[in-house]
This record gives sequence, C-alpha cells and structure tokens, in this order.
Amino acid sequence: MSTHTLALCRQAPYGSALAREGLEAVLAAAAMDQAPDVLFLGDGVFQLTADQAPQEIGQKSLYRNLQALPMFGVERIYVCRQSLADRGISTESIAVPGIEVELVTDPGALLARYQHVLSF
Amino acid sequence: MKFSLVVYSAPHAGEAAASALRFARAVVDQGHELYRVFFYADGVHHGSALAAPPQDEQDLLTPWQELRQANDVDLVVCIAAAQRRGVLSHSEAERLERPAANLADGFELGGLGQLADATAQSDRVVTFGGQ
Amino acid sequence: MALHIVNRSPYRSSALRDCLNTMAEGDALLLIEDGVYAASASAQAGAMPAGTYCLGADADARGVSVSDAIARIDDARWVALCVEHTPVVSWF
Repeated sequence: MSTHTLALCRQAPYGSALAREGLEAVLAAAAMDQAPDVLFLGDGVFQLTADQAPQEIGQKSLYRNLQALPMFGVERIYVCRQSLADRGISTESIAVPGIEVELVTDPGALLARYQHVLSF
Repeated sequence: MKFSLVVYSAPHAGEAAASALRFARAVVDQGHELYRVFFYADGVHHGSALAAPPQDEQDLLTPWQELRQANDVDLVVCIAAAQRRGVLSHSEAERLERPAANLADGFELGGLGQLADATAQSDRVVTFGGQ
Repeated sequence: MALHIVNRSPYRSSALRDCLNTMAEGDALLLIEDGVYAASASAQAGAMPAGTYCLGADADARGVSVSDAIARIDDARWVALCVEHTPVVSWF
C-alpha cells in the first residue's frame, strides 16, 4: 500500500472484527514492503490501550498484532489527540514498544497528504 | 480514471453491499476503468455461490459476475477472511478438509497483497463498510 | 481536497461527528445510506458544511426531504465527485 496510502483505524478492538482485519491488512502490506501509514482515530484509539486480556472472551490479543508492527518496518503510528482526550486516555498509557506515537491535532491536514485512505 | 473498490459488508446485511454494486456500475457507465473489487471482512460472503434470496429481492451475485464478464473486473475475495467465514474454492475445501466448496464463478481467492496492489495501481480506491 | 463519504445515521453513530472533526477547509462531504438523515431539512444534527452532497436515491428511499443547502446528486455525479477529489475517505 506504501506511504501514499493511509490506513484509518476507527474500530474498537474485539467488538468489531474489522479492528483485527484492518491491522492484518496493514501487516500484510508491510510484509511486502508496502507499509501504509496508520492513523488511529475515534474508538480506534482503544486498540492502543495496554492490559488487554481477551482470553476469556475467546479472542486473541490485538495488542500483540500492534507489537508486531515494528518487525515489519512500521515504526511510527499517528494517533488523534482529541480522540484520546474525549475518551479520558492519557498519552502516556498508549505506548507500544518499538513504535513512535505521533499525536495529531489536525487529522484533516494529515489525510490531505495521501492519495488513498483505507478505512478500517 | 482507474478505480478499485474495497467491500467489507456482506450482501443482504445492510445497504453497503448494494451501494458498492451501484457505484461499480456507475464507474463503468461513466467510462472509467474498474480495476479490482476486493472483498474483505464480512464482504467475502459476496463470493458464495449458495445465496438464494427470494425472487422479488435483489440479486447481489449475478450482477457482479456480469460486471466481470463485460468489463474484465477482478473480483478478489480475501482468502484469509474467507476461510474464517466459510467461503472456499474446491482446492481450499480439499486442503482444509471441509465437506463442500462454494466460491462462485467469476470470483477468485487472493491474498491481502491484492489489496496493496489495487491501491498501487488505482487512481481512486473507495471503501464500502458498515453492516 | 478530500471527499468524505458518511453512511451512518448521525443519531446512532460517531461516523459523522468524527468526519466533521476531521474535515479540512474545502473538503466535500457526501451523505449516503443512513447518512442522509443528516441531510433532512428538519435534521437536528446541526448545520452541514458548505460542499455537502446527498445521494438522492437514498434520501427518496427513506422519505427524507433534503435541505435546500445540500445538493442532491445521482450515482453518476457520485463518481464525478470521486474523480474531482483525492483522497476519498469512507466513514462508517
């Protein structure tokens, strides 16, 4: 998908399969050296919270998929600052090892840089 | 201009599947090229040959097959998403030891690389989602 | 300039709100499917920005009377809007 594509992730984990399948699409593209940039916005920021333990609901941890991103060359993610604030999530609590989190205050300006935006 | 579509919604689940079909027809009618439709997430159910909606309801299988026939559109069903949901080609059914195959004519199973390729090859990519 | 496409009712989903918070000056907004409830003349969803369009077929299907400030379009114009804008961003 490469850097002319932005993956826009807006789904909370576990409640929607598209959260997982969106990350899988990003990882698959990255494995082919076509990693898109990734923006977490809206409920998508819930994907970034630590302490996810979905074993009892029969799901695999989505956070683990996130941790795999640096292995495939995705070393920076964009996160909407306002979406975090709206949900009472502190910026310190969304660290993913090996990934630089770039907080975005103007997501519209970010979107404008890309030819394609794939919504997940 | 070259278009590709990404469809996340199952047919007969909401309006998004019908919207995608209408948009695809409009793209072709306006003289643009429709390069690929990538069916992902619940959208993979588009590739099932076994759907049998009532006569007076919209058919969301044949029109895609006709679009493919007339305009050489790639209809790609994501293989990983399809395995989870039980949309299988004959070879996949055999490999996974499942009792039947249901992938419709005109559709092909493909990897997520086909989605990455569609974004690289197309001038515009439009996603259709939501139940 | 981007084209944003919203297909959810503003009363049920955050899709429209997220989209409006993200839209840049000069971007276009297209309301389709249940998104057309935001285009209704009597909508309580707040004023839509300049450059808002609504799929006429989806509004008609739901008996929604589209506000004069919003342009009703057909499928051909939908494709044209996609040609005129980049990127095309779907909110659902």
